[in-house]
Amino acid sequence: MSEETALMTQGLTKSYGKVRALRGVDLEVQRGEIFGYLGPNGAGKTTTIRCLLDLIRPNGGTVRVLGIDPQTDPVAVRARTGYLPGELQLDPNMSAEGALRYFNALRGNKVDWGFVRQLAQRLDLPLKPAIKNLSHGNKQKIGIVQALMHRPQLLLLDEPTLGLDPLMQHEVLRLITEAKEDGTTVFFSSHIMSEVEAVTERVAIIRKGVVVEVAEPASLINRALRRAHVRFRQPVDTGPLANVPGVTVLSQDDGTSVLLQVEGEMDGLIKALAAFPVSDFETERPSLEEIFLAYYEASDEEAS
Amino acid sequence: MLAEFKHTLRRMRGQMIGWGIGLALYGLLMVSLYDSIVGIEGFQELIASYPQELMAFFGDADFLAITTPKGYIGLYYFNYMTVIIGIFAVGACASLLVGDEEKGLLDLVMAHPVSRTALFWGRLLGFAVATVLILLVGWLSWLIPSGSSSMDLPWIELLRPFLPLFAELLLFGTLALLLSMVLPSVRIAGMITGGLLVANYLLIGLSNINEDLKSLIEFTPLHYYQGGDAITELNWGWLAGLLAVSAAFALLAWWRFQRRDIRVGGEGGWRLPSLSFHRRAGSEA
Repeated sequence: MSEETALMTQGLTKSYGKVRALRGVDLEVQRGEIFGYLGPNGAGKTTTIRCLLDLIRPNGGTVRVLGIDPQTDPVAVRARTGYLPGELQLDPNMSAEGALRYFNALRGNKVDWGFVRQLAQRLDLPLKPAIKNLSHGNKQKIGIVQALMHRPQLLLLDEPTLGLDPLMQHEVLRLITEAKEDGTTVFFSSHIMSEVEAVTERVAIIRKGVVVEVAEPASLINRALRRAHVRFRQPVDTGPLANVPGVTVLSQDDGTSVLLQVEGEMDGLIKALAAFPVSDFETERPSLEEIFLAYYEASDEEAS
Repeated sequence: MLAEFKHTLRRMRGQMIGWGIGLALYGLLMVSLYDSIVGIEGFQELIASYPQELMAFFGDADFLAITTPKGYIGLYYFNYMTVIIGIFAVGACASLLVGDEEKGLLDLVMAHPVSRTALFWGRLLGFAVATVLILLVGWLSWLIPSGSSSMDLPWIELLRPFLPLFAELLLFGTLALLLSMVLPSVRIAGMITGGLLVANYLLIGLSNINEDLKSLIEFTPLHYYQGGDAITELNWGWLAGLLAVSAAFALLAWWRFQRRDIRVGGEGGWRLPSLSFHRRAGSEA
C-alpha cells in the first residue's frame, strides 16, 4: 500500500450467519479522490463502510484506512474520518446544537465552532429545535455537519443526499467538492447516479458482495452500448451497415431510417455512413444508471 | 470516557429526578408516620397476631422489631427497595449500550474517536453515579426529618444499609448489562434479569417458611443482602463479595462488547452470538 492510498481492502469478507454480505471485496482509493460506491440495497455497500470504521468485524481480508488497520487502532481511524451513516438516527430529545456539541466532545472539543455555524448556515439547518421536531431532511443535515465539522482527512458518506431537496442536494455536493479541494478523500455510496456521475472521479460497482467493476464514470459510459438513429433522404440498402464491426441493426423502416446498436467507438459507423445520403443522425448517450443496471442484468443472465 | 460519562448522566437526569422525588416523598412520609405507628396502643400485640407465615416471609426478627428504628426502616424500606429501585437499575443497565444500538444511535457514536472501552466504562460509571445520587436522595429523605422524630438515627448508621443496597443494584444492573450483550434484545435481557431479581426476593422470603430452601438461597445474591441489619453492623465480607460479582459481570459484559458487531436494522445480526472468540481479520490476511 503506497503513501498515496487512502483506503484499501483486500479479499474483505463478512457473513451474518449464513448470509454472505461481502465475498472478497477489493478496493483501493487514492488520497484526495472522490470515489463512488454503487450498488442496490443489500449489495454490501454499508457493510463495507462499517468494516472500515471497525463497527463490525470482517471474517477475513485486510483493511487499511489512511494506512491504519481499523481493528488495531480504531480510534486513530475515526479521529481522521467523518462518517455519515445510511440510516442516520439521532437522540430525538437533543437539539441539533446539543447533538453536535456531544459529537464535538467525543472528538475532544477540537472542532472550530465557527465552522459548524458556517456549515449549518449553508445547509439552512436550525440548531435550536429538538431533533424530534425536525424534518427528515434537517436531521440528514445534522449528519452531514457532524461528518464535515472536524475537517476530516477521509469522508465516508452513505447516501449523503438522502431526503434532501434538490437545492440542498446541490449544496451537499458542493461541500463534498470543496472538501476534496482541501485534500479530503471522499468515499460515498449512492443510489442517485446523476450525483455520482457529477462529482466522482472513479466508481466501483458492487454486486452481491463482490466488486464487479472499478472505473472512471466517463470510461464506463464510453465503453457501454449506445444507440444510433439514422434517417436517410431516400430509401437505401442498409445491409452494409450490419457488417461494420460493433454495429447491430435493431430495426429499420422501408430503407429511410435505421436504429443501430453500437459497441465501442463510433468511428467505423461514421465512416460507413459517409457513403449514404444521411439526413439526420442521433445518438443516445447512456446514463451511468443505465450502465449500472446493465451490469446487474448481465450478471443475472450469467447467473441464470 | 469523560464525555460519555457526562452524556450518560445528562440522559439519566429525568430518571434521577423521578426516582429521587419518589424516594424523597416516601422517606418523608415514613419518617413522619414513625411516631404515630409505634405509639399506637397495642401495636406490638397487633403485629404478633399476624399470621406466622407472613411474619416469617419478611423475617420474624424484623417484624417483631418494627417499633424500633432499625426494625421500622428495615421492614418498610430496605426489605423491598432492592426490588423497587432494582427496576431502575435493570432497565437502565440493560439499555445502557444495546438500547442505543437497537435504536440505531450507537452506530454514529462509535464512528467518533472513542474506544469501546471508554464508551463502556464511561456509561457504566454514569449509571453507577446516577444510582448513588438516587440513593443519596433516599438517605437524606430519612436523615433530615428523623431528627425531629423519636427515630433519630445517627447519619452513619443510616448510611450503612445503603451500601449493600447499592451493591445489589450494581450486581443486578451489571447482570442485565451482560445479558443485553448475549441475548437478542434489551427487552429479553431486562425481563430475564428482572425475573431473576423478583424470584430471588420471593425465594428469600419463602426460605424463611420452608427450611429446605435454605441451602438453595446461599447461591443467590439477595442472601448476602443485609437490608436494615446493616444499621447496627455492616458485613464487609458480603459487601465486598457483591461488589466483586458485579465487577465480574461488568468485565464479562465489557469483554463481549469488545468483540461485538454493532448492529443496525436489517443487517441480520439479531441473533444469539457465538461464544467463540472473534478472529481478527487483519491477522489472517
